[in-house]
Amino acid sequence: MNKHSPLSSVLAEVNIANGLPNEHYVDPAIFAEERKSVLYANWSGVGFGKDVPEEGDAKPVDFLGMPLLIVRDRDGEIGVFQNTCRHRGMILVDTPRKIGGAIRCPYHSWCYSLKGELRATPHVGGPGHNTHEDVDRSDLGLVRVRSYVWRDVIFVNVDGNAPAFEDAHAALLERWKEFDQPVHHGGETSSFKLEVKTNWKLAVENYCESYHLPWVHPGLNSYSRLEDHYNIEARGHYSGQGTLVYRQLTDQDGATFEDFPGLSDKWDEGAEYIALYPNVLLGVQRDHAFAIVLEPVDQENTVEHIELYYAKSIEDTPQHDGLRASNAQLWKTVFEEDVFVVEGMQKGRHGVLFDGGRFSPAMDGPTHNFHHWVATQIENGRAD
Amino acid sequence: MDKSKLDHLLLEAHARDDHDALIRYYTLAADEREAARDTDAACFYLTHAFVFALESGAPEADTLNARLAAHGRAHRLDFSD
Ligand code: FES
Ligand SMILES: [Fe+2]
Repeated sequence: MNKHSPLSSVLAEVNIANGLPNEHYVDPAIFAEERKSVLYANWSGVGFGKDVPEEGDAKPVDFLGMPLLIVRDRDGEIGVFQNTCRHRGMILVDTPRKIGGAIRCPYHSWCYSLKGELRATPHVGGPGHNTHEDVDRSDLGLVRVRSYVWRDVIFVNVDGNAPAFEDAHAALLERWKEFDQPVHHGGETSSFKLEVKTNWKLAVENYCESYHLPWVHPGLNSYSRLEDHYNIEARGHYSGQGTLVYRQLTDQDGATFEDFPGLSDKWDEGAEYIALYPNVLLGVQRDHAFAIVLEPVDQENTVEHIELYYAKSIEDTPQHDGLRASNAQLWKTVFEEDVFVVEGMQKGRHGVLFDGGRFSPAMDGPTHNFHHWVATQIENGRAD
Repeated sequence: MDKSKLDHLLLEAHARDDHDALIRYYTLAADEREAARDTDAACFYLTHAFVFALESGAPEADTLNARLAAHGRAHRLDFSD
């Protein structure tokens, strides 16, 4: 029945495990399987609240081929809908725009409210007749996709079967509860995206380990030594790395960003970088944070959407515009330094004799934790 | 306004995607047909005026919907929020 290799060697403990086999990085059939069992079955990131800042803002997104529409309604709430008309299945909104009143389908003009209710069905009963007894508006609202916004990241659970977000991610919500406060996007310079020729999982794997820091980011490591880092592993949920020597960026006058209020002293020099499975990478520091949504395009291509956030809005702190730009440049350099690695690992996985590789039992726990989780999702999907 | 002039204005409004003009001219067309007691044509135009008002959040949506509902051609919608 199962034509793919069993994943028992991935599910073994880190000291003896192998990584996921090549086919999990290069085979379109496995990519399709991941779409269903990994990305649609869990809470995946698809965008950011800052992309729909005002009431009526609507932004279409393609999530692994599925057309979604992110909308901010008149109550300021973000909703995610399938971007497909309930009549003949036309795409409703094809470019980001402001909805003044209702979402009108461009085909036969059925209209939906920003909460997805079907409001008008023009001529449905014949010309000038806008009702028909067999067309029940209350059954034909837009299909709402389960969504949750945390740290400005818009998460969706497409299949609707994952535990509630607060339950699925209770451990991380607890771990970072001191950071559970508003974040302010740093504006245009704080937003960038990288198109990378790699499978999305390799971006996760590279993000959550510190083993490569002294080799790939020698600049970063001059003030952040390997031994000042610790592994973060929560089996079945998330993994990443923490540092004990976070230093604030200062400008030429010695000014720094303002801190997030109320943090304990653990965060004076502490910072954590966590991959929230499947595809969201988060970082928290005393004075800024970032969020990365990995958009899996196909098995060999990923877009990394990177956004930086601060404790204070850009309107309230214009004096920090320069500092924000330098900080963004600094991170951009770091993320760009990682591109050759994630692309190189992707190329390496076309080596048909590669066995998934081995892990450093001391250093690669967070990476293995992710492989273990992915393998578990895949096996769960195969068992259904 | 004569029919061909109105048709022309409507086509121009469509080409500009000018919702205010679409609402205004479709309403005019509906008024004219209603005065002529041609309910089907009036409701056809009212429907168009209504849809563009609804889409753009124009206040006319409420009264246009009420007119259609009065003819039994639409459900009365709530515009209170
Ligand atoms: S397909 Fe949307 S109204 Fe017909
Ligand atoms: Fe890196």
